[in-house]
Amino acid sequence: MSEVFEGYERQYCELSANLSRKCSSAGLLPPGEQKQQKVSEIKASLDDADVLIRKMDLEARSLQPSAKAALLAKLREYKSDLNKLKREFKRIASSNADQASREDLLESGMAGAHMASADQRERMAMSVERLNQSSDKIMESRRTMLETEEIGASILQDLHQQRETLLHSHQKLHGVDDAIDKSKKVLTAMSRRMTKNKWIIFSIIGALVVSIIFILFYKFSHH
Amino acid sequence: MGDQIARAEEFQKKAEKKLNGWGLFGSKYEDAADLFDKSANSFKLAKSWDKAGSTYVKLANCHLKLESKHEAAQAYVDAAHSYKKASGNEAISCLEQAVNLFCEIGRLSMAARYLKEIAELYESEQNIEQAIVYFEKSADFFENEEVTTSANQCKQKVAQFAAQLEQYQKSIQIYEEIARHSLNNNLLKYGVKGHLLNAGICQLCKGDVVAITNALERYQELDPTFSGTREYRFLVDIAAAIDEEDIVKFTDVVKEFDSMTPLDSWKTTLLLRVKEKLKAKELEEDDLT
Repeated sequence: MSEVFEGYERQYCELSANLSRKCSSAGLLPPGEQKQQKVSEIKASLDDADVLIRKMDLEARSLQPSAKAALLAKLREYKSDLNKLKREFKRIASSNADQASREDLLESGMAGAHMASADQRERMAMSVERLNQSSDKIMESRRTMLETEEIGASILQDLHQQRETLLHSHQKLHGVDDAIDKSKKVLTAMSRRMTKNKWIIFSIIGALVVSIIFILFYKFSHH
Repeated sequence: MGDQIARAEEFQKKAEKKLNGWGLFGSKYEDAADLFDKSANSFKLAKSWDKAGSTYVKLANCHLKLESKHEAAQAYVDAAHSYKKASGNEAISCLEQAVNLFCEIGRLSMAARYLKEIAELYESEQNIEQAIVYFEKSADFFENEEVTTSANQCKQKVAQFAAQLEQYQKSIQIYEEIARHSLNNNLLKYGVKGHLLNAGICQLCKGDVVAITNALERYQELDPTFSGTREYRFLVDIAAAIDEEDIVKFTDVVKEFDSMTPLDSWKTTLLLRVKEKLKAKELEEDDLT
């Protein structure tokens, strides 16, 4: 973007150099047709220069604040330059020595006021700029705050879900506890039955062995 | 990877042989199930999802014959996950079978979770009606199991899709109910205005201005803080714009709200519909005049 501004700047510099040359040459001329011609030329170039300055102003304002300050300062210089050229032009256009000196006298009185009002306008423009900037920043921060609020709400939802999961697992753990107790009882019952069976089998085996021994005894004793 | 496939095929063949042959002590199904599991794992490592899926299905059949429904359901779920990576339809049918098995066992919460998965698969395939059906089923199951957050999430999805399919009344009811539930909960009450905003937008799509104003009053009663929020002002402004049939004002209000919080695509679609309706009404009036 500042390229555009530099382009305008270059054009303005050319124009102002042109204008100053024309002013000085016109001032030396005797009043007459040539002078009128020159005067109209200078007027046209002054209008162009005015337009350029306005464009540069718009450019400068639309840029980033860092570049803006520097460019606005430059702009102020060019504006004062242009004002000087305009005053020169007025002096030439009047083409009356007396009027010229009267203009000179009055000018030095007015110059102060002109400068002061230009200054004030500059300052007002700057403060308007700063207000705009701060309102932009406030909008930005509001947007961020809303985003944060949304994120916070979704985090709360997640927390709620996790809370429910935790509660459920708590309940399930109680259930598992009960189930373990039951299974412990079942297992002890099983092991008791197993030992009971073992003893029964041992006792049957023992009884069978005893009876076999008896039978063998009888057999041998009868012999 | 090649050797994984070879190993997997080997396991599968062994398992099939076990199934066809005679096993000792009737343990053939268990051994076969074990081998199928190993082969399915190898297929997964080899990234051949289709074969992995089919192996898991066979595994599930084995478990069914062993009467362990839980294992069978788990196998169906694994099959569905493998198929998800390959194609969608098989996955859905596997998940449905898994869900049925879980219902029989009585593990409703797992059934509900897998129903939600099915619904999400349908959503990704853009089959919105089926997605709604399944989301509703899963919301019911979740409510039965008192898992309110997941139930709320599923119901939200139902309401979203219903609004997309222009079933506005259903959508409105669901959103209002969710808002009412969330008010009581300290954690959820910050989301209430979002829900009321969604409900309000659905009301706007219905196009009945009187109903909208009534609804806005009702929402204010529900939640006294709602009237201070930006959303409420947004709804009021849009209702006014519709009343005056002023499209420029409508666009301005929407743009302002959008500059603060960007609108998501669902809201944008619905608001676009409202705008179209407004434009149509304007054209109608022009025609009449």
